[in-house]
Amino acid sequence: MTKIKLSFYSIVAITLFFLSCKKDEQTKEDVTPVVSKTDSLRASTSGHFTFYGFKEGKVVEVGDSATTKWDFAIRLATIIVNSQSSGPGNVGVITESGSFDSYTTAPESGYVYDTASSKLAINSTMSTGWFNYDPGTHSFSPKAGMFFVFKTTDNKYVKMEMLSARYEDFVGPMPSFIWHKFRYVYQPDGSREFE
Amino acid sequence: MMRTMAQPAAVNPVVQDTFFNREATLDEVVITATRTENRVSNIPLPIQVISSAAIRQTGSQRLIDVLQMQSGLMVASNPLGTALQGYPNPFGDGVQMQGLDPAYTLILIDGEPVTGRNAGIINLDRIAVGNIRQIEILKGPATSLYGSDALAGVINIITNSPGKNDFSFQSHYSTNNTLGLTASANLKTKKAGWQFFGKRYSSDGYDFDKDIYGQTVDPFTNYSFSAKLHYDFNEKSNLLVSARYSSEKQKNAYLIYPDNNEVAVGGNTVEEDKSIFLRFKNRVHDLIAYSVQFYATNYANNAKVFIKQGGDLFDHIGLSQSLIKPEIQLNIGRNPNSLWMTGVGYNWEKINSTRYDQEHQLNSWYLFGQKQWILGQTNLIAGVRYDNNILYPAQLSPKLAIAHKITPEIIVKASIGTGFKAPDFRQQFLNFDNTMVNYSIVGAKELSNVLSAQIQKGLLDDGEEIRKYMTAVDLEPEHSLGINVGVDYTFKVNTVFKINLFRNDISNMIESYSLPFYNKNGMGFFSYKNINKVFTQGVEITINHRFNKHFSVNGSYQYLIAKDKDVIRELKHGEIYKRDPVTHVSTKVAVSDYKGLFNRSRNSGNVNVRYYHERWKGSAAVFVKYRGRFGYNGLDGFTDGNDILNDEKEFIKGYTFLNGSITKHIGEHIEAQGGVENILNYTNKVYMPNIYGRIYFLNINIKF
Repeated sequence: MTKIKLSFYSIVAITLFFLSCKKDEQTKEDVTPVVSKTDSLRASTSGHFTFYGFKEGKVVEVGDSATTKWDFAIRLATIIVNSQSSGPGNVGVITESGSFDSYTTAPESGYVYDTASSKLAINSTMSTGWFNYDPGTHSFSPKAGMFFVFKTTDNKYVKMEMLSARYEDFVGPMPSFIWHKFRYVYQPDGSREFE
Repeated sequence: MMRTMAQPAAVNPVVQDTFFNREATLDEVVITATRTENRVSNIPLPIQVISSAAIRQTGSQRLIDVLQMQSGLMVASNPLGTALQGYPNPFGDGVQMQGLDPAYTLILIDGEPVTGRNAGIINLDRIAVGNIRQIEILKGPATSLYGSDALAGVINIITNSPGKNDFSFQSHYSTNNTLGLTASANLKTKKAGWQFFGKRYSSDGYDFDKDIYGQTVDPFTNYSFSAKLHYDFNEKSNLLVSARYSSEKQKNAYLIYPDNNEVAVGGNTVEEDKSIFLRFKNRVHDLIAYSVQFYATNYANNAKVFIKQGGDLFDHIGLSQSLIKPEIQLNIGRNPNSLWMTGVGYNWEKINSTRYDQEHQLNSWYLFGQKQWILGQTNLIAGVRYDNNILYPAQLSPKLAIAHKITPEIIVKASIGTGFKAPDFRQQFLNFDNTMVNYSIVGAKELSNVLSAQIQKGLLDDGEEIRKYMTAVDLEPEHSLGINVGVDYTFKVNTVFKINLFRNDISNMIESYSLPFYNKNGMGFFSYKNINKVFTQGVEITINHRFNKHFSVNGSYQYLIAKDKDVIRELKHGEIYKRDPVTHVSTKVAVSDYKGLFNRSRNSGNVNVRYYHERWKGSAAVFVKYRGRFGYNGLDGFTDGNDILNDEKEFIKGYTFLNGSITKHIGEHIEAQGGVENILNYTNKVYMPNIYGRIYFLNINIKF
């Protein structure tokens, strides 16, 4: 279990590193390079969702769940996006398969939305969804070769890949929290190109 | 049904059995392959026989222990059915044959199907060892004779028939306070023969992890009774009536966690199995004989679990399944030179479960025909069966087999046949809500109803995404095409060498899948559909050698490849990726990295050595079974983001079972036997908790 704690601190360190980079870059005029980032979020297994915004590159407070500050949110292994039944935003998603790294251009159309709580843009169900579920250990692991392309509320494009899911150390029968690690490339200039 | 062999077998060495002077041969008479009695050497199909003497020599009390030591058979359990963390294994263990799951092997007792599969598995502990005359294992599809489920093959348990007056008794005691008491009696009058059998078998089970509440294997008690009457009206006609009953009661104790509170529950699982069988046989002419038979069976499984404090009922899972099967068979001609066999029957199947909305029926009728003939040195069998059913399209299952004696010692055999497996009740009608984990499993026929009910309750919003799953899509039977090609070579009477190449192509396999949405309470839905195609292929080699009357050795080896064809196709298209567990970088999986289906051993084999010492009036036997490494999904928490076997870390290491027994006659009527199973003390407590480790046993056999 110490392993989990170590990775938690290293994640924090990485996050701080990226945040500081970003500030430096913003001071330069005219150049808006894509933001590549690996991040983690701590999701509840049964409580409220944990919200995340690509623009700021960080977790958004629960109090801001009715705003457009966030793009996606996770509870246990269910991913919602900020649109229609899930939030006031207009975040659409396309689920892609293939190589994340060599994926260069976001599609112009075809984005789907959370039209109802029972009709979410991202399939988070047990066998056809974005993860493999092991009924023996109740563990989740993101399917390799699957990733998501987001079109955010302010029309920015992001490609995002879920990397791992690990329960936080727990006592008792059920874990309360699960750490999801993911990486994404955010294109701040509004173009569909990720390079 | 037929008079015995018109044509003598090519070779038929008879040796004295080591127990009670029964005769054993290398060329047994079997019935499973053709539904008529034939010698193995006359049958163009791969068939293997385990004699009662061979079973007795192992000292085993459980059928699964006998079968798992045989060539090409592995124990397989449903991955959800392993007794993880003190939870009971509700399904039992079955055997994998030619690389196919237990659901694809038909289990027969005296030619009639055993019903009551849980998750595709018939719990073999329902069949008592001690009353078995021989076990016939027919490999390759046998649907042309037996209908659904006989895709990998058939295991036919032939029980003892009334013989001369005798009485026998066996007591067995082994590790874990396991006690077996068996009694049987034969009564013979001029026209009637009676046979009675009774057995009680119980064990305390065992516990691998004291820190986990409940035992790994809970204590159980098992009773089996059977009675048979064989009555000869005259030389030409006879009647057989038999009845069978078995029950197993196993304790349950585990923890549940309502609202995150730990609560202990306990209770019993009771399995009951009853059947009756009547058959009238009549030979109306030298060349014409018929039989009329009636079989009825019921299987019931009731698991009741109560909360320890207060005694409130926590859960009751009940299942009752019955089959009534009348059948008429007509034989015209001479066996095996030229025999026409045809039959017609009806299956009236009924199932009731706490997990189904209502009682369901599955009625079907069938017609089968077979011609077997010998032309010079060539044996031929051609057969076909037609199954008509209300729930799925009618099935036509042909089979063709040929054997040719190149020399009296060398027989080349080839057969091809199709098989099918009807969608089972669970896949059609299950309606089970697991409220603890918040999902629902719904049979294909029920899906539309369940989803409309959800919409009506406002738990799902009506729309195209939901509607897609509401148009009734009927499940098709799973299909197989099986080919077996082999050579039997008998060398100097004492050595028989057999090689058999097999290939099975299964299509339309029914798998569960999750619907891509949750309802408003976050409940997920699973259903069943025909999804994938797999194949298994390999070679099985057996060598049987008798050094002399008293000393024999046999060995076998199986090489197996079993793969999912859809996975191969996706790999070829570069659609399957793996994620490095450390760097999290995903890369394509190469076709060559795919190791095949989980739980299949590429290499396996067995060796049996039997020695009988005449002066000492005793025998010794050693049995070895090797099972090579096999894949396990999610082994030790390993995951690489795909559900296929492509990494060395996904393999469970191979293992060897070594069993030995010593048998000694004491006087005329008593025999003492002692032995050790799993001498090497192999265990894998996490992934194979059904393997206890070293087991010592002592048997006393008495026969008058």
